[in-house]
Amino acid sequence: MSLAKTHTRTNHTTMRTSTLFVLSLALLSALDLPAQGRGRRGRRFGPPPQQAPAPEPPKEEKKKEPKEHLAIVGGDVYIGTGQRLTGATVLIADDKIEKVGHNLELPEGTEVIDAKGKCVSPGFVIVEGSGMGTGFSGPYKDTVNPFDPSIKQGLAAGITSFLVGSTSSRGRVGGSNAVIKTHYGDIDGMVLVENSVYGVSVPLQISQKQQLKDQIKQCRDYLKAVEEYPAKKAKDAKAKEPKPPKGADAVLKVLQGKAKLWVSMGGGGMGMFRSMMGGGSSASDLDKIREALDVSRMFGRGVVIQKPMSAWMIPDEIANTGSSVIWSPRTRAAPDPKDPDHTGSNLAQAAILDKAGVAVAVTCPSGRFGGSGVGTGGILGQDLNTPHIDAAYAVRGGLKNRKALRTITLDAAKMIGVGDRIGSLEAGKDADILILDGDPLHYGTFVTTAVVNGKVVYEKGKEALFKHIER
Amino acid sequence: MSMRTQILSLSTAALLCASVATAQNARPVAFTNARIHTVSGEAIENGTLIVRSGKIEAVGDDVTIPAGAKVIDASGKTIMPGLVSAWSRAGLNAPRQRGNTPTRGGRRFRGQARSSSGGGRTANKAATKVIDGLYIRQPVFYDLLEVGVTSLALNPSGGGFPGLGAVLNPAGKTRSDLTQDDEAFVQIGMQRNATAKKLLKDTFEKAKKVVEEREKPPTPPKKEEPKKEAAKKEEAKPAEKKPAEKPEEKKPEGKEPPKPDGKKPPQKEGDPKQDPKKPAAKPASKPKPKDPNLEVLADLLQGKRRAIVQIDSAADLLHWRHAVGDDVKFPRMIAVQRHDTRSGTMDMVVDHLKKWECAVLLPASLSTKPSSSYLINPAKSLHDAGVEIGFAIGESAGSVRTIFYNLMQLVRAGLPADIAIKAVTHVPAKALGIDKRTGTIEAGKDADMLIFDGDPLSSTGKLEQVWLRGKRVEKK
Repeated sequence: MSLAKTHTRTNHTTMRTSTLFVLSLALLSALDLPAQGRGRRGRRFGPPPQQAPAPEPPKEEKKKEPKEHLAIVGGDVYIGTGQRLTGATVLIADDKIEKVGHNLELPEGTEVIDAKGKCVSPGFVIVEGSGMGTGFSGPYKDTVNPFDPSIKQGLAAGITSFLVGSTSSRGRVGGSNAVIKTHYGDIDGMVLVENSVYGVSVPLQISQKQQLKDQIKQCRDYLKAVEEYPAKKAKDAKAKEPKPPKGADAVLKVLQGKAKLWVSMGGGGMGMFRSMMGGGSSASDLDKIREALDVSRMFGRGVVIQKPMSAWMIPDEIANTGSSVIWSPRTRAAPDPKDPDHTGSNLAQAAILDKAGVAVAVTCPSGRFGGSGVGTGGILGQDLNTPHIDAAYAVRGGLKNRKALRTITLDAAKMIGVGDRIGSLEAGKDADILILDGDPLHYGTFVTTAVVNGKVVYEKGKEALFKHIER
Repeated sequence: MSMRTQILSLSTAALLCASVATAQNARPVAFTNARIHTVSGEAIENGTLIVRSGKIEAVGDDVTIPAGAKVIDASGKTIMPGLVSAWSRAGLNAPRQRGNTPTRGGRRFRGQARSSSGGGRTANKAATKVIDGLYIRQPVFYDLLEVGVTSLALNPSGGGFPGLGAVLNPAGKTRSDLTQDDEAFVQIGMQRNATAKKLLKDTFEKAKKVVEEREKPPTPPKKEEPKKEAAKKEEAKPAEKKPAEKPEEKKPEGKEPPKPDGKKPPQKEGDPKQDPKKPAAKPASKPKPKDPNLEVLADLLQGKRRAIVQIDSAADLLHWRHAVGDDVKFPRMIAVQRHDTRSGTMDMVVDHLKKWECAVLLPASLSTKPSSSYLINPAKSLHDAGVEIGFAIGESAGSVRTIFYNLMQLVRAGLPADIAIKAVTHVPAKALGIDKRTGTIEAGKDADMLIFDGDPLSSTGKLEQVWLRGKRVEKK
């Protein structure tokens, strides 16, 4: 129903975009993404929906111990899938979201946080993070520092999860990383998953490409053999169990859909150096993007393309592979009029990609002195403080407001392989929730309360960071 | 030959002198009109303290002075127990060598593993005695005594299980005089990395098995069967998990478990290759050699020993719980080497500390809130929450001299003065297991005490005399 409505509202768009849009809708439904809600100002018109269209989780109440309930009541709830419920309640049981909707019946003993006049949003998910209680290498569960003061700084910026570690490995698929939660004071709550992402950088050398092809074939053969094994075993009791190919764990996990594959535009020539020095990558990286899409086709799966400068020129090609894009809308590169290949960046990139049906996750530009992504590594660590403003730059480029919120919540969560755990306020997901004193993407907005794993871990009025700023 | 007789006569003369000294000591000494910080109870104003034969004979405000006592009028003076240092590596490094500091490397880059000199990172060396690595002929012990340290711990350095710590008598000149207890406590070091956590977890699990074995219903003494089973069980696992365990730590069985011998290499008969292939030795009739390192830890878990556990921050404490768990209980004191504001000061995990019911040895200084200059007093927070606190007083005469200044700052910031004094005397004495003998001013205890002109915490207070076991320590 909401899909149709959205469509009618976009009638004024040109024929071409509307076809694109239909395509995107088709893709969205194909990807099983709940589509955007009733337009930007939907809240002002029409009655509020009765209940969030959240999928009801299978009821398997074991009633071991009474659950601890926490309810955030009366706020404007951004589900994170693109919808918003006015004056709704988010009910949390222990560390999971139990229900989102209007007039929920609260179990006895529920602790209530009043969010009237405030916005409630999923915690922000950062695809390239650093610091905030983590060191430089894994295994993270043995090294995280749950009392790192920069965790509070991240929470104040709305960050509840981020990917940390390396996501690239030159010439082959690899990497070592983890999704970390800013669960202050709790080491078990901090590490969500390790190695949910592997990366490879393009351009690949011919031999590397061949090696990758071989590995994919070996893994496919293996998976097929595994599938056929039970039948074989029934016929011949001596049938050997297939063994996974050596040295191709990462490739196998990507093929199985257990890990996301990121493709970085880092490799080759001076690209890495230039991007490190803050110049962005080269002004046109079409060739690299197309090679990334080749890799995607090799795997038969969408990949995540890291910071492709020229993606706005070939949105449909990217959409066709089901790939998604990590992008920083603040990154700028001017076109060179003397060189037709140097097409530069486009502020509208996120909007253009979104229209084509390509999911976008927003990150911040690389720090000038090597700090990459959102963390304390950039100049004075200021990149840590404003993920929502980075997303708002995408709005400035034409992306719809609530789509922009997805770039730092659900779509970002999907790109780091944890879309089923975090990124939206749906029943059964982890209770990582922000209460904000304004629109999540407005520059003047502050986080007033942050909840991670069902626990209140940040309150603006109690931390020295922004306590003194009144709104 | 005549030479030798000469030496003999000389030494008898020396012995005579010594006996004369003890005879003199037998004459009681009475301090009168002193303010006495007993630490065991309230401070006594205008108190009298009787010292005889190295012991405190009586203390109080209405004590009769025994006949023939040497009376010292101590009006205006304060008497308190001698300082007890529960964290020191003084004398472990060769003299004239830098690197005597307790914190190795100080602030580290995040993610960088801590280096440890004493090893123990990948192996359990709990039975190694630190005293064996001591350089004896050093002025540092006497220097410490002069500034008030009457009992001194010697802590093995390194993470994991670096060995058994000792308690030293700082007046000693020879190894035997110096050594008061060569296995006073088990040193354990927590480090925030995968290797160290795995070592802690695995080793405690093995030690628990040894304890289980010991606690089995008592069968006729020295029954072979269950022992063998136990040894098998206990060895089968470690063998596959930790083949890296160094063979020289294996000690032959037959030694009494609570008295494992340290680094004495002669009995290295357990051949190095045998270790990883323990299960293969099944038919052999002789029982498996016990691992003295595990025996030490089993003693610890049974409460027969005590431990000093170095945990530097609140984050590390949570990682300890993650690796070892709360159910592994043993007598311990936690030693914090520096206030690590970026990983949390200990007052942030006060609930866990209370569950463990252990004292915490802190650096004697205020700390700050993370990323700020706002001063906080973790010692006071812990004390207010009901956790017993002690202070590390340093391991050089220079740092000990400033301890009272540091205590003054902590007291100024809200810590009760008597708790501050207790934290450098009785609390560390308990951690070292010498509290029956020293650490307070009570009748029957060793006369280890400091005499101040004025209040020890005041800037005008001056340390005038140090007494060690009833003898005044002479200035060099």
